[in-house]
Amino acid sequence: MKQDSNQDRTQDGTNDGVIVLRDITKRFGGKVVLDNVSLGIEKGKTTVVIGPSGCGKTVLIKHLIVLLRPNLGQVYYRDQRIDNLSERKLNTIRTHYGFLFQGGALFDSLSVTENIIFPIRQHCEITDWAQVEDLVKAKLAMVGLDGFQNSFPANLSGGQRKRVALARAIALNPEVILYDEPTTGLDPIYSDVISELILKLQRELGVTSVVVTHDMTMAYKVADRIIMLHNGKIIADGDADHIHNHPHPIVQQFIKGQVGEDDLAVLRMSGTASQAQFLPRDFQ
Amino acid sequence: MIGAVGAKTIGGVNNIGRFARFVWQSMIASFRSCLSPCTYPLIWTQMHIIGVRSVPVVMITGAFVGMTLAVQAYDQLAGMGLEEHLGVLINISVVKELGPVLAAVMLAGRIGGALTAELGTMNVTEQIDAVRSMGTDPVRYLAAPRVLACLLLTPFLIIFADLMGIIGGYFVSVVVLGINSRAYWNFSASGVELWDVSIGVVKGFFFGVALAAISCYKGFTCKEGARGVGQACTEAFVASFISILALDFALAVIFKSIYNTFWPLKSLV
Ligand SMILES: Nc1ncnc2c1ncn2[C@@H]1O[C@H](COP(=O)(O)OP(=O)(O)OP(=O)(O)O)[C@@H](O)[C@H]1O
Ligand SMILES: [Mg+2]
Repeated sequence: MKQDSNQDRTQDGTNDGVIVLRDITKRFGGKVVLDNVSLGIEKGKTTVVIGPSGCGKTVLIKHLIVLLRPNLGQVYYRDQRIDNLSERKLNTIRTHYGFLFQGGALFDSLSVTENIIFPIRQHCEITDWAQVEDLVKAKLAMVGLDGFQNSFPANLSGGQRKRVALARAIALNPEVILYDEPTTGLDPIYSDVISELILKLQRELGVTSVVVTHDMTMAYKVADRIIMLHNGKIIADGDADHIHNHPHPIVQQFIKGQVGEDDLAVLRMSGTASQAQFLPRDFQ
Repeated sequence: MIGAVGAKTIGGVNNIGRFARFVWQSMIASFRSCLSPCTYPLIWTQMHIIGVRSVPVVMITGAFVGMTLAVQAYDQLAGMGLEEHLGVLINISVVKELGPVLAAVMLAGRIGGALTAELGTMNVTEQIDAVRSMGTDPVRYLAAPRVLACLLLTPFLIIFADLMGIIGGYFVSVVVLGINSRAYWNFSASGVELWDVSIGVVKGFFFGVALAAISCYKGFTCKEGARGVGQACTEAFVASFISILALDFALAVIFKSIYNTFWPLKSLV
């Protein structure tokens, strides 16, 4: 599958890194979603994962925090194997992580403030409420939502929910932040704000980030390293320049947003006079 | 054919195993919650939702049970001239069997359905995964307070049902059918013992845990989508209902043998 192994990073050099996936295979039913994937996430760097819709990016990022367990292979966090730990032990490890779900996954019975302080409340005794309020205010201001403290998720727009979820993910200043499509559903301005936020967290707190995205502007802006996933395998791996000039046609199609010849052919064929057209009047 | 039966059996055994593990985990988590005061607010909230708001429906259930028993049993007893014994019949049925069982079934519908739907929706919208991703045990955060609230409050709700059943029976027997009030209460007091009332209330602990654990489990394991949540709710209600009846039978047998061991003579009288 790898056609340019001399240019791409060697995949056996995955021993170094805060989080290491080694030979991960994940199947759902008979369907192989991740096929022998190895990946090391470097400390203090931002790794961007791109790939077509449905290729397994969410499944991959969930393995990094062991929300999903692999069928084969191992996951390491700081050289400790974590994919076989009990949920109880994993919970201790997970406090070092922040995870932004693709759908936000806000608690809809809790207000915005309660959502953001959820991780704080679970792990620390809150004694000084004024301090917590300041923290919530600061985190919300970072995502441009100060003033929404008492709203409920149901009353927010899709993009606002995503930003609250982001504020919740960064609430405890985690060492590793995993973002699943942080800018989907946001306007271009806020997408850029989020990119800046990711860069800021990396610069100032040395956060290790993994960003799943379709947004190439963001990918080029924040990435120290870009990984492309296709059919359950990593087909490209390198810095922004490397991906930009990657010889693989699928990579080029993806980053330029061009439809492939095969898909185009299907489109051209469908809806022509040669095929049956079903219109409402046909059924009357 | 054989393969299909085998697969079903294995699936069923698997399910039971997972359920048993879930019950075990939630028991441990509930026990831990009791020891750590910082989880008390969660339990309070659930107690309010589960317990306080169920009082009216449970009282109405109890009242109708008592009243219906009075109407139905009156003719039989009056035919034998025993209508003054009506109180014993009504009150013992209410406190021992009908009050606890019907109150628990009412709760299975009212609370069980809501619990399954709530947790099921949280499951399909990844909120349970979100709890896990923040390093919190969802069984401890979500299931334990609900199980504890049901465990602690079902017996109280049963007392309310009993009370209203007794009042309802009294109302129909004495006020409507005109039985002598003094005789009614005298026969009741001699026939209904503290033991009868206690076993009805003790059943409440078991019913409460059963319906909460089943509903939470169904919510945690529900399948994707709106249909998955709906199906989980139906299954949760059916399973709770059946296990309430089965538990009632098992407890009746157990309590009877305990009673016979401690008071062997009384049962002969
Ligand atoms: N819980 C699951 N059960 C069964 N199949 C699943 C499950 N989760 C994911 N899959 C399958 O795995 C594949 C990859 O899913 P995934 O959500 O990782 O895609 P993705 O790359 O994140 O796509 P998108 O960009 O649209 O979010 C999909 O084809 C999906 O059908
Ligand atoms: Mg995804």
